[in-house]
Amino acid sequence: MSERPERFIIDGKRLDGRSFDELRPIKIELSPLDRADGSCYLEWGRNKVMAAVYGPRELHPRHRQNMTRAVVQFRYNMASFSVDDRIRPGHNRRSIEISKVSREAFEPVIFTKFFPKTAIDVFVEVLRADAGTRTAGINAASLALADAGIPMRSLVSACAVGKVDGEIVLDLMKEEDNYGEADVPVAMTVGEEITLLQMDGHLTPKEFYKALELAKSGCRQVYELQRQALVEKYNKDYSVDEDDARSDAGGDSDE
Amino acid sequence: MGKTIVVPGDIVSDNIKMSGSGTYVRDGEVCAAVYGILNAGDRYISVIPLAGKYIPHANDRVIGIVTEVAYSNWIVDINAPYEGVLHISQYPQRIDVENMSRYLKVGDCILTMVKDVDAGMRVELSFRDRENRRLDDGRIITIDPTKMPRVIGRSGSMIRLLKSEIGCGMFVGQNGRIWINGNDDRIDLAIQTVKYIEDYAHTPGLTERVQAFLKAKQKTRYGRTHESAESVEHVKSAESTEGTDEVRNGNE
Amino acid sequence: MPGVMLAVIPMSNDVMAEIQHDYLFNLVLKGERADGRSFDEFREITIETNVIDTADGSALVTIGTTQVLVGVKVQPGEPFPDTPDVGVIITNAELIPMASPEFEAGPPREGAIEIARVVDRGIRESKSIDLKKLCVTEGEKVWIVFIDIHILDNDGNILDAASIGAIAALLTTTLPGARYDEGEDMPLPVRDIPVAITTVEFGGELLLDPSLDEGKIAGTSLTVITNSDGSISGMQKSGTDPLTTDQIIRIVDMAKTAAEEIRTKFLEV
Repeated sequence: MSERPERFIIDGKRLDGRSFDELRPIKIELSPLDRADGSCYLEWGRNKVMAAVYGPRELHPRHRQNMTRAVVQFRYNMASFSVDDRIRPGHNRRSIEISKVSREAFEPVIFTKFFPKTAIDVFVEVLRADAGTRTAGINAASLALADAGIPMRSLVSACAVGKVDGEIVLDLMKEEDNYGEADVPVAMTVGEEITLLQMDGHLTPKEFYKALELAKSGCRQVYELQRQALVEKYNKDYSVDEDDARSDAGGDSDE
Repeated sequence: MGKTIVVPGDIVSDNIKMSGSGTYVRDGEVCAAVYGILNAGDRYISVIPLAGKYIPHANDRVIGIVTEVAYSNWIVDINAPYEGVLHISQYPQRIDVENMSRYLKVGDCILTMVKDVDAGMRVELSFRDRENRRLDDGRIITIDPTKMPRVIGRSGSMIRLLKSEIGCGMFVGQNGRIWINGNDDRIDLAIQTVKYIEDYAHTPGLTERVQAFLKAKQKTRYGRTHESAESVEHVKSAESTEGTDEVRNGNE
Repeated sequence: MPGVMLAVIPMSNDVMAEIQHDYLFNLVLKGERADGRSFDEFREITIETNVIDTADGSALVTIGTTQVLVGVKVQPGEPFPDTPDVGVIITNAELIPMASPEFEAGPPREGAIEIARVVDRGIRESKSIDLKKLCVTEGEKVWIVFIDIHILDNDGNILDAASIGAIAALLTTTLPGARYDEGEDMPLPVRDIPVAITTVEFGGELLLDPSLDEGKIAGTSLTVITNSDGSISGMQKSGTDPLTTDQIIRIVDMAKTAAEEIRTKFLEV
């Protein structure tokens, strides 16, 4: 277990060299899974998360069906090898709480009324954790939902802010998360409606408002990356040369 | 002539009267509701989804698989989040409840029609139409239902092209399932071609691509030169009348 | 109800169209498979190791579109009382619900447990890890090797993928001596390479590496785990149909050959 650093900010830079309002690098891969209806693999800093969506699909048991809309179910789970100290497999209180708030981050956004009696199942698996797994999970889940063609009012973009050495900083890294003074994960829609908000730590109201604005700017940056990934996927899947069609067919027809 | 890709939440118009399928209205603006291709028409703006499940509507022709014989109902998998229910009264003949499995049993594949979908999403199927039948031969494949319109083509042009060029029987269900009949080679080729269409569904010039694909496949397959292609054409046109969707009464 | 993890119970969408079933069957009678493979041919295999740096060893294996991730974590702990001078191997498999519409959330059920136990047997019985070398202080402290198998995408034959992933991860595992003040980091001593190969039977024929549909249709499967010297360190028959002795002998032979190919191609340095 790493020790508490003496200082978090040196010469205006954080321990990993970032400035206060800088995100860690994010990498996105769409549709990595074959069986799921939609999926997304996302890396954020050293986080590696996989999100998958099944649905709308029949919901069992019957008594849980809602006659007027789809039921959104969200399961966040950390793989036992995702952290330095192995986690016993299976859900725990933390993963249950994160599953709940993550589900609630999407419930206002998905057009559930189009699919009564069904379930829309979202699964997030953290394969490697590095602070900010719940926000990474939400960002990957947004993309998996879009990939599955689930109708939504908007993508959901998430980011966390915190406070270290008296400064409000964006996208906490591990030491900042473990030893900082606050951790505020936020998720919002493109219209800046906040669908997830939690706070752990200690902030004055003024600090909190500053933190919220910084988080929103982080979410906007994440949104651009999510949007870009979706557009690029289409271009990759469907932009082809004229010649590809012929060479695919395995012939040399030149008529 | 590039296509515009939109993601959920993108603003596509400020004229709320133009809100078409795949869009919704928020704060006086029309926004995309799904990840898809923007389709801006004269009267409506819609979004063609790039993915999604088949949701049944009345009068859809679908290909189903019987999963259960319940009392007086067959339960049918129609590749949707909702199962289809075929009531015994919707069978063209009068049959007894005890004999249901003799006519349609678990595992049977059927061409059927959605009669009605009520507010509770109960999907009623009908088997009374002469065009509906049990499929005892051939093969079915399932593709992404959002690509189905491309397999059918404008006014059925693509499916006609496939049937005549390949020389097979085909029926395309609205639910992403396709039934193909003919000899094994033809079915293999038809399946490859349908998958090709699925992969290239949103690229421009799809019809030309498919024609080129088929020409090259036929050439490799037959390995013949241009002159003898005529006799091949002759053979193909004779066979293609076998597998059309002419009404065949498949009821015992 | 608070604290209830979602209850995901899969749709029973397992009814295959009879004509589809017939098609696969008839293909086999003609000596063919739906994806054009021969009966003893594997789909394309890829193995990537060291993919999760929080694990002490890891591997991502794909067979066709099946994807399995295996992570190995090593921690110091107490030995079992009846074996005070050897280390411990604990294998767990998760058939996580994202991998298939048919997997449920919740504690491992018989499918996951069977995979974990079969993979574990192969590793243990082949003595691929010299457990005596994992003893730190007899009776007090030994290394405990956790092998965690995570099925990500089930397109058939997840057992073989899990087995290959487990041994590939072990081969690249580092004993975290420095972290626990037990000397330097060292590679986990692995001295054999057990590989599980699954064969299914249907239509009277034997098929290696069953695809998802083939696995569903087959009445029975036999998994055979063989080692570098061709000896067998595990077997598991699964499914309801019986096998003849002749079939079993042929399957063992096919498994040995396939395991050797995979070993040579991917796992040996």
